[in-house]
Amino acid sequence: MSAAADDAPPGQGAGQGAAQGAGQSALAAKPEAGAAGKRRMGVGAQLYSGLIGAIVLTLSASLVAYFSFREILGQQSRLAEYSVPNLIDSVGVARQSAVVVNGAVRLIAAASQAEHDAVAEELSQDRKNLDEIIDALQSRSAFSAQTESIQNHLLEIEVELESIRESAARRLVITGILAGLAEKLAEANRSIERILVAAIDDQGFYLAEGLRRLEDQADSVQERASASELAFYRDLITASHQSNLAVLLLEEALALSDRGLLEPLQERFHSAVENFRRAYAGLSSRSSNETLRENLETLARIGESAEGIIPLRREALLRLERERDALASGREHSERLLADVNLLVAEINREAVQASEASQAAVRTGIALLILLNVLSVAGAALLGWLFVGRYLVRRLVKLAKAMRSMAGGDLEVPVEVRGNDEVSDMANALEVFRRHALEVQRLNLVEKLAQELDVKNHSLEQALEDLKRAQEQIVAEEKLSSLGQLTAGVAHEIKNPLNFIGNFSDVSAELIEEIGEMLEEAREGKLDLAEEIEDLLPDLRINLKKVKEHSQRADGIVRSMLEHSRATPGEWRPDDVNALLKRYVDLAYHSLRAKDAAFNLKLTEDLDPDMGQIEVIPQDLGRVFLNLATNACQALDEKRRSAGPDYKPELTLTSKRLSDRAEFCVRDNGPGIPKDLRKKIFEPFMTTKPTGEGTGLGLSLVADILTRHGGAIQLDTKEGEFTEMRISLPLQRPPEASR
Amino acid sequence: MAGAADAPRPPEEPAEAILFGQSAALSGPASELGQGMRLGLQAAFNEVNQAGGVHGRRLALETLDDTYEPVAAIANTRELIERHQVFALIGAVGTPTSAAAQPIAMEAGVPYIAPFTGAEFLRDARLRPNVVNVRASYYQETEEMVSRLTGDLGVRRIGVLYQDDSFGRAGLEGVRRATQRRGLELVATAEYVRNTEAVKIALLDLRRARPEAVIIIGAYKPAAAIIRWAHRLDFKPSFVNISFVGSSALAKELGENGAGVYVTQVVPFPENIELPVVAQYQAALQATAPGAMPGFVSLEGYLAGRLAAEGLRLAGPQPSREGFLRALQQAEAIDLGGFVLRYGADDNQGSEQVYLTMINGRGQFRAKARMAPR
Repeated sequence: MSAAADDAPPGQGAGQGAAQGAGQSALAAKPEAGAAGKRRMGVGAQLYSGLIGAIVLTLSASLVAYFSFREILGQQSRLAEYSVPNLIDSVGVARQSAVVVNGAVRLIAAASQAEHDAVAEELSQDRKNLDEIIDALQSRSAFSAQTESIQNHLLEIEVELESIRESAARRLVITGILAGLAEKLAEANRSIERILVAAIDDQGFYLAEGLRRLEDQADSVQERASASELAFYRDLITASHQSNLAVLLLEEALALSDRGLLEPLQERFHSAVENFRRAYAGLSSRSSNETLRENLETLARIGESAEGIIPLRREALLRLERERDALASGREHSERLLADVNLLVAEINREAVQASEASQAAVRTGIALLILLNVLSVAGAALLGWLFVGRYLVRRLVKLAKAMRSMAGGDLEVPVEVRGNDEVSDMANALEVFRRHALEVQRLNLVEKLAQELDVKNHSLEQALEDLKRAQEQIVAEEKLSSLGQLTAGVAHEIKNPLNFIGNFSDVSAELIEEIGEMLEEAREGKLDLAEEIEDLLPDLRINLKKVKEHSQRADGIVRSMLEHSRATPGEWRPDDVNALLKRYVDLAYHSLRAKDAAFNLKLTEDLDPDMGQIEVIPQDLGRVFLNLATNACQALDEKRRSAGPDYKPELTLTSKRLSDRAEFCVRDNGPGIPKDLRKKIFEPFMTTKPTGEGTGLGLSLVADILTRHGGAIQLDTKEGEFTEMRISLPLQRPPEASR
Repeated sequence: MAGAADAPRPPEEPAEAILFGQSAALSGPASELGQGMRLGLQAAFNEVNQAGGVHGRRLALETLDDTYEPVAAIANTRELIERHQVFALIGAVGTPTSAAAQPIAMEAGVPYIAPFTGAEFLRDARLRPNVVNVRASYYQETEEMVSRLTGDLGVRRIGVLYQDDSFGRAGLEGVRRATQRRGLELVATAEYVRNTEAVKIALLDLRRARPEAVIIIGAYKPAAAIIRWAHRLDFKPSFVNISFVGSSALAKELGENGAGVYVTQVVPFPENIELPVVAQYQAALQATAPGAMPGFVSLEGYLAGRLAAEGLRLAGPQPSREGFLRALQQAEAIDLGGFVLRYGADDNQGSEQVYLTMINGRGQFRAKARMAPR
């Protein structure tokens, strides 16, 4: 059987090689193609050969069992055909011998002829049975010594039995006769008694009363007391007494068992009968009574005749004694017979025990062989199971199943490695092919899926960006509007100022022109020198107009920068005078605040680098930065002014410095400073300390944003209760990566 | 089984008769007793069978003659039980015969119903569980005799003639107890041999003691003999006989000598047809034996037969012997029509009644409430 297990390993690797060979290049290639030509053993063949092995083991076990059973059967049949029957027969001999011997006792004890005959019949049947058993024993075995001895004893017992049987039969006849005699005796006795009792009663009464019949006259005392009447009465009494005695003696004779006592009893009976006869003779002299006489003779006959109770009883007792002697002799024989039987039984028993032991030995051998074979079968089956089914087939199937499960779980990376050259390896190869297919498909799917996901994400990011941008623009627009609102007052002031100048200079110019007109009148009248006068007036007029122009330009600049500030379109990079930008927005912020509260005032200190020149910036955005910083500073100063005493002088210091690679601007106020916990948050959007509605909280976040866009930075330096300084650094040129 | 009811029923087999066995004297000096008992039983059974039997089963009687001899009674009893397979023994006559036969029946588990004897030993329910007595005991009869004699007549000197066997001695013992209870001693006792009429010497012995009353525990023939001879000798004490004597036979035997002779009875007066059971008895008797004269013995036999039928009725269909005995024991009271019998676990005697009767000058019986001086 192990051949199957040995044959299997050579198939290993073939399937694997096929799968590997097929691999990517030949997904559709048949797995067995690689194993073609090699010796192949299918699962069916493997299982069948396993089964055949098991059957061979079972058959060999059955064969051994068969031979064992044959051996046992042989022993058993020897037991059954020889020992057991011998045993049974020997027991039968013992039992039947006892029955035969006891038959004698039953014969003696038989109470009736019928019983005697039945016992005799049974006895002869028993004897026949015994002979048959002994014959059977003799025919079967070599116990002739014992059986012959038994038969001899039996013959002797039979002789005794026969004599007992005959004697007992005769005794039974006698018993029957005696029973009849006893009945006759009782009858005679009753008859005698009836006659005598009545007669004695009559005679006694007569003696007393002299009356015999009711109708009689009483006899005289002399008559009734005569000697003859008295003798008659005496004879009646004697007859009654002696007859009773005779009956009693006979009854005793019937009952006694000692033959010796019969002799004296007979004598006494004889004399009683004689006495009765004598008394009757006396009675009969007066009136003979036939019945009484007959009964008397019957009594005598019943007792003493050759066929009477006493002789018969004597014979019966004699026979009984002889039968008992014969029985004793028979018993002696039977004891010897039983001894022989016991010997025979022991002999046969010994033989049977031997046979039984041989049979048991055969059984034991058979059992041992069967156990051995069972162990071998079980071990073989276990080995087969372990070697082939467990170690090879099942393990590979388990591996296959595991591979399938992991594939089903989505893990397609682990290659299916099942060796062998059978259906299992076929399945494994097919599975491997399937796995590679699946892997390919999975990969394609993955890329597509990722692309899709990316697309979706991009889309949503774009969307978000768009939303953000829109929100940002909205916010910026709002911020712009908000700051515009804040600036309105400042702007109004800024514009009003030049407009005032323009109005004033225009008025002055108009008065000059009136003067010139009056002069012209006078001149026409000639009253004065016109040229001289005009010469005096013209420089003033020129100056006035120059001033008007100057201030209108200034207003125009303000309006333009306002427009610029509020313009929704992104600003453009251009070189600009950053110092001027700074100043203008600081002014705006300051005046805006002053427009709200005229009490607000500050000392503005400017330390601006004259060499600053122009820097390429987005003036619109940078202006917002300055406006924001200045507005914050002014508001902080205003706040402090309100809370601090009248000694407090709000100061705002503007500094600019052109360095080699960058420009630095600084806005410093001596306001309340920024508390420590807020310092880090001030550049976050929507961070404000102002009441709701006054600020958007976007200011400094926009500042940081704009500066970052310019490639610059902002730095905070503050001390609580003393100052706040915002320091800005900007590159001198537009940074290359800067874009909107 | 429902289908069986629809199926044509096979003609019903007549249920097997319930057979009763009787061993009694049909011949010999006590023959009138045995025959009387048999006649009464037959009358009762006929009456019951005419009315459809008991639970549909007929009652039958098998009677064997034992001539009042115990040996024959034993043989008969064996034959009735073993060969005839009787359900129960009934109506045995006599004390010695019953003493011999009852143990055999008891051993075989066969009920021993209504023996015609008042012997005390049959009235021990624990020792003789198979016995069902109808009549009062001899002790009760003798007690009644002595009670009447001493109470009604003031008699002090009482003599007894008894049959020399278990019956006679049972009666003698009863009389002795009754007198001793009253502080009296019997003045004379005399015995006679069973189945003889040899009573004259006994008469002389009795006369010598000058008794005022002689109680006779014996059969009708010797009883009649001693009364006749006593009259002949002009010796006229009050003679009182026990029920067993055989009343009708006694009266017949005595003839004119019978006048004034008392007999105690254990069944109602058989002419007293005011008693329903007596009327039924007379009707049944006429149906069974036209022309037969009613008598105490056949009435007792009739009552025994009616009791047996009642016991079977109470025991239900398919009665067992034990069931029969149990049914009688457990019955509250069995009223046969004015004659009520009561049994219990320790009481196997149904009636306690003793009736006094006297023979008149015309040889007829008359029921007497008390004795009267003559």
